[in-house]
Amino acid sequence: MRKLLAMLAAVLLFAGQLLAQKTITGKVTDDKGNPLPNASVIVKGTSTGTVTKSDGTYSLTVPAKARALVFSSVDMAPLEVVIGSETTISPSLKPVESVLAEVVMVGYGTQKRKEVTGNLSNVTGKAVAEKPVQSFEQAIAGRATGVQITVPNGVLNNPPVFRIRGTNSISLSSYPLIVVDGVPTFTGDVGSSNAAANALASINPNDIESIDIAKDAAASAIYGSRAANGVVFITTKKGKAGKAKVNYDGWVGFSQVYGFPDLLNAQQYVDIKNEGLKNAGTYNAATNYFALTTGPDGNPIDTKWKDVVYRKGVSSSNFVNVSGGNDATNYYFSVGYTSQQGIIRKNDFKRKSALFNIDSKPNKVINLGAKISYSGEDNLAAVTSGSLPGEGFNTAGLGRLAFVTAPDVSPYNSDGSYNINANNAIGVMSNKVAAVGFYNPQLILDLNRSNSFINHIQSNAYVQIKPVRWVTLKSAYGIDYLDIDNEIFQTGLHGDGFSVNGNASSNFNKLKRWVWDNTAQFDYVFAQKHTVSLLFGEEEQRTTQIGYGLNRQTLSDPFYTNIQGGFTTNNATGLANTENYLLSYFGRLNYNYAGKYFLTGVLRQDQYSAFGANNKKGNFWSASGSWDVSKETFWHLDRVINSLKIRGSYGTVGNSTLGNFDAFSFYGSGLYGGSPTFSFSQAGNSNLKWETSSKTDIGLSAGLFNDKITIDAAYYRNDYKDLILAVPYAPSSGLPNSIVQNIASLYNKGFEFSINADPVKRKDFTWNSSLNISTNQNKITKLASEAGINQITNTTSSLETTSITKVGYAIGTIFVTRTAGVDPATGRRIFINAAGRNVLFQLVPPAGQFQYMYEDGTKAPNVSLADAVPYKNTNPKLYGGWDNNFRYKDFELGMLWTFQAGFYVYYGSGAGLRDQRFWNNSTDVLRRWQKPGDVTDVPRIVNGDNVSNGSSFPLDINVYKGDFLKLKSLTLSYNLPKFILDKAHISSARIYVSGQNLAIITKYPGPDPEVSSNGTANNTQGVDRNGVANARVLTVGLNIGF
Amino acid sequence: MKNKYIFSLLTGILLMASSCQKNKYLNPASTTSLPDFQAFDTPDRILSQVRGLYGTAKSGTFLGGRFSIYNDVRADNFINETNNAVTALQTWNFTVNNNAQETTGCWAQAYLAINNCNLFLEGMAGKGNTVAGATLAANYNAEAKFVRALCYYSLLQLYARPYWDGNGSKPGLPLRLTGNKNPGDYNLARSTVDDVYKQILKDLDEAETGLPLTYSSAVLNTTRAHRNTAIALKTRVYLSMGKYDKVITEANKIVSATAPFTATTGVNHALQADITTVFKTPYTTTESILSFPFLIGADVPGTQNQLGYYFGTANGSSVAGANGEFSLNAAGVIADPNWKATDKRRNFIYTATTGKKYLTKYAAGSPFTDYAPAIRYSEVLLNLAEALVRVNNTVDPQAVALLSAVRSRSDATTTYTVASFADATALINAILQERNIEFLAEGRRSPDLLRLGLTIPAKSTVPAIPSSDSRYIWPISANELLYNHLCVDN
Repeated sequence: MRKLLAMLAAVLLFAGQLLAQKTITGKVTDDKGNPLPNASVIVKGTSTGTVTKSDGTYSLTVPAKARALVFSSVDMAPLEVVIGSETTISPSLKPVESVLAEVVMVGYGTQKRKEVTGNLSNVTGKAVAEKPVQSFEQAIAGRATGVQITVPNGVLNNPPVFRIRGTNSISLSSYPLIVVDGVPTFTGDVGSSNAAANALASINPNDIESIDIAKDAAASAIYGSRAANGVVFITTKKGKAGKAKVNYDGWVGFSQVYGFPDLLNAQQYVDIKNEGLKNAGTYNAATNYFALTTGPDGNPIDTKWKDVVYRKGVSSSNFVNVSGGNDATNYYFSVGYTSQQGIIRKNDFKRKSALFNIDSKPNKVINLGAKISYSGEDNLAAVTSGSLPGEGFNTAGLGRLAFVTAPDVSPYNSDGSYNINANNAIGVMSNKVAAVGFYNPQLILDLNRSNSFINHIQSNAYVQIKPVRWVTLKSAYGIDYLDIDNEIFQTGLHGDGFSVNGNASSNFNKLKRWVWDNTAQFDYVFAQKHTVSLLFGEEEQRTTQIGYGLNRQTLSDPFYTNIQGGFTTNNATGLANTENYLLSYFGRLNYNYAGKYFLTGVLRQDQYSAFGANNKKGNFWSASGSWDVSKETFWHLDRVINSLKIRGSYGTVGNSTLGNFDAFSFYGSGLYGGSPTFSFSQAGNSNLKWETSSKTDIGLSAGLFNDKITIDAAYYRNDYKDLILAVPYAPSSGLPNSIVQNIASLYNKGFEFSINADPVKRKDFTWNSSLNISTNQNKITKLASEAGINQITNTTSSLETTSITKVGYAIGTIFVTRTAGVDPATGRRIFINAAGRNVLFQLVPPAGQFQYMYEDGTKAPNVSLADAVPYKNTNPKLYGGWDNNFRYKDFELGMLWTFQAGFYVYYGSGAGLRDQRFWNNSTDVLRRWQKPGDVTDVPRIVNGDNVSNGSSFPLDINVYKGDFLKLKSLTLSYNLPKFILDKAHISSARIYVSGQNLAIITKYPGPDPEVSSNGTANNTQGVDRNGVANARVLTVGLNIGF
Repeated sequence: MKNKYIFSLLTGILLMASSCQKNKYLNPASTTSLPDFQAFDTPDRILSQVRGLYGTAKSGTFLGGRFSIYNDVRADNFINETNNAVTALQTWNFTVNNNAQETTGCWAQAYLAINNCNLFLEGMAGKGNTVAGATLAANYNAEAKFVRALCYYSLLQLYARPYWDGNGSKPGLPLRLTGNKNPGDYNLARSTVDDVYKQILKDLDEAETGLPLTYSSAVLNTTRAHRNTAIALKTRVYLSMGKYDKVITEANKIVSATAPFTATTGVNHALQADITTVFKTPYTTTESILSFPFLIGADVPGTQNQLGYYFGTANGSSVAGANGEFSLNAAGVIADPNWKATDKRRNFIYTATTGKKYLTKYAAGSPFTDYAPAIRYSEVLLNLAEALVRVNNTVDPQAVALLSAVRSRSDATTTYTVASFADATALINAILQERNIEFLAEGRRSPDLLRLGLTIPAKSTVPAIPSSDSRYIWPISANELLYNHLCVDN
């Protein structure tokens, strides 16, 4: 029947052509009114057509019966215009990125969005460009379903927590695989200094064309053993046919800290601390007391240490690109320089980057191209911020020094010298106590350095041959070379270098990767309705790492300030020599019937050097399908639901981020009386293999009211098994290590929903709004029950056991001891011990009483970490973003709200802020218990008490709901009108003002509930311990196109 | 046609080369750690492993420092000064629990060394014996058994009831005699104290047979076990078991019948005229039967493990970098009026400006490279003396001569005769006190009290611990109890 109709139509058209013709003229422009040359104008359903001239005009003779014209141009969304009776049609075309991107990366190729059966989210390059961020992931929070981004704190270039559909592993990385222009790149903090050095900062966000995020098995299985955490495809910008375009973007930014706690001033500090001494019975007006010191200006010293540690940072970015091309060849070239100051003094980020992309098609058969990208980054810091993983309790940690140091002492003595004492602490001045602070932050900020310098080259080249129309052979070779030069200097005067009288370390780390893939693709349409696309491929990837360094201690003289100076002790440091290799074969079959039914199957085999000898090969696969219901003849809801697609996928993929030599057993070298030894040093596991993730995804996409509203919804369930744990054995086994084994299981499940609408769409005013919401539920289903392990506790910075991963709970559940308030009669902290009994604590018990007592007055065993319970979930159960774009004439206003909910944060810094040692406190302690009958949440203040408020072991009082709604970014921009542009001979100009983190709505008492003191770790999320706060940034920018 | 063949050939070669490389890349060899299957490939590697057996036992957390420190500070001669739980406070005041760093760290390190011995013995049986050659193989296997015996013996002194309690029938240690390197079921119950001692003696008897009489240098004679080392250790083991006749049998192999007492076969052990030379560089006199060596550079005991760091003090630059963790108890052995001021062993006592006294036997200072003494010849003499008195139950003249040799070596003004002692008990007490003086800070004090069931005397605020007290010995490592379901606590 359909065939008959088509024939009939063809006959009619043919007949019409014979009957009559008319000429239509017009001018094709872009959405800003610029003429579009070389745009194609075709009579719908025919091959009749023309292209526009350089001024965008055209003239086309069409059959009288022709119903519509289809206009299209490179990078522009095609537009269909009904002819009717008109003879002049002047459409304006919109750039592709302003509607839905037509094509998506799917690994080793692209696919039309409408034909994709997997679940991919897309973020346009525009969303991450022009932002005061160091790496693109920092800017994609709230922009896509299933993607959770948590910026850990205000340290520049600190890799954000980046999770796709939850935390996917216990011991291995949960970071998605990042594939940049076909080459998987390095991720994470690759430096080994106190400055964070996210490897992804080497990609200038301004160079990114699009970010495609593969979430389900169908979309990711082509990456086999590396796809369990999802795959993120970064496509950099390419040139477009046409006249060369030059684009400049520059901005200046100003950042400052927000949410810093309110602290006691000097007088309050002295009063509170003396009260503590009195309550402890150790106050002595002659020998043991706190007191104000008169400063050189004659006033009592009242130091705001926040102002010593933090600053107002000034940043800037300049970026220029040139792109263009003709039918055969196109090119894109860019250079960028950004210099950013963090909110912590001396924490800077500088990047010089260049990118060159070229593609050429000398004839119909051959297509080739190349990319060269260079980035040099300086990640600078003076000392530890106390904010990177493992740094939480560093003595020099700036986050803590800013709030712990006594306000009644100054960084300088009256004579201008640094205020330090012989015990490597800040001097106590008029206080008559042993200590009032750790290090003097001023000195270590002034004299120390901890920097990571990076050179990163990412390059690739390809050649593609199409011997016949339906066969595409492609060979691509890429490299990713990353050199990291860490440089650390610590003065011997004070701080971390004091004990060794000066310390310098320099180490060099060289990561080299090459990837070579060869693919053959066959595209064929059988009988006009059966579209088949078949891909075969082979890929090799090899990565090597070489590291070496020198550590020198004990300065010969304070004159020296670098590793090349005079020292007395030399040690080797940062030695590494390791490699891995991945050999893969893969295939993908896409089939679609009449554009209605789509099926895709993917198969990949990975052989990986790090797998154990007994499990060298893994096979991964996915099967998926989708059905475009609205294309069915029975579909009659077009007016309401103009498109409806249902899709589903299932498959298994892996996580292979294990250590290169974890599977092997080794003997290591040592010394015995100076002679070399060999001892059994690593028990490996020849059965070691990838972690397996089975992913189910069911979803639908719908367009309503002619795509005025589009909706995407999905349900996912990902089951992870064979998760790797280092299983400990009885120490009497004598094994040198816990043996890594594929043994644990967990799952993630949830829903994703996004809606995009244009509530207002008028000529002068438009409003586009999109909301996305994702849910996630994570649960551990098995640890190593064989070895009797059903829970694992984890520490923050090795010192504080804050988290538990336990069967039946979500990964990284907060692990704290419970409390029951403050006893109104005595002001003692009431703990709830493991047996559920209330235990009252006082640091200094009066005669006849005890430190720990039951309510009946009898002695109770000490309450400790052993009384802790799994307390609250740290994984956001719900997160997403709400993006609004308003345009009024030449003004645009963008507003992105992000939110996370259903999770808790352990505010460990809060424990420190009420610690009753010399530590300065938050103003919360002013509402302390003082007399019987006082009802308050702050116990009686007793000097030396680090137990009652949670410094000694974590308490539930410092656990808070983390739910937040944040105005992540607000941008107001103005496009200069055409008449000005024309005068200035420029094609576009836009000025913008933008703010990041401008507002946050939350009940969390710390600086920001979007926080992670343990970086991207799996087991210890939701901990806010002694880190620096977050930054609020304002930028003013200019974008000009020539 | 010809071209086609050439083309096929070239393609074939390329593919083969490529496949070779793929295989190499897929099975990379570490260049920084030695694969376990190559550990017995050369004689040098085997020798390195032998040194590694001692090296593992020598760890600062075990025989290179802490084991000795624990056994001194839990007795009565030292007072804790730093109140630091990380530096043996809980051992000192008997609050040590299953989770303490002491209990878990010492246990784990000892078993690490034991497993290394087991792996070594298995590897030697596999192919090492052939690679090393029969003579060296016998030597090496004997050393492994010696180290294993020393580790088990050391563990027994802290984690198990003394032999006299039930005649060795109390729970001893999980007795591991096979090498472990793979995932598996590692549940294993504790053998009895007697069973563990039997294994120790079996190992030492076999070691005695296999060990060489001497090595080529004084350093090797001090730092690696030779025949006399095994015999000397046996005198200690039998003494701990109360098998005094065996002590005599073993000691007589290496102690001449008359003064000056020396070992007449093997390494020519003898007391040094000046005891302070034993604790000075090069630390390799014939008095040191076994010591664990350290060397400035990468071969140091590690932070908070060093003997000198604990017992010495930096006060007055006495011992550079020492932390004065423990001072000498004024009411301890230094209060003994019979330990004369002229006794050279008093030279090890330093009075700080605070008036507190510290022991400076280990005076090398940071990075604390004093050898850690394990067995000295004076111990063998005193072991023999005590055994003779206990067996003969008289004021044994040879015992008196042996005791006198140790005393008068440091205190020329004192020479003991049979007349010096009223009865056997007086002589025994004198021998025990001599041990207390002679081996101060050498880790012998607690085992000496325990093997005789003596109460650990009170000190400072710490109460006396009678032999019936559960704190008389340590609890078992919490990690062991957690992962070895057959292991029971003390």
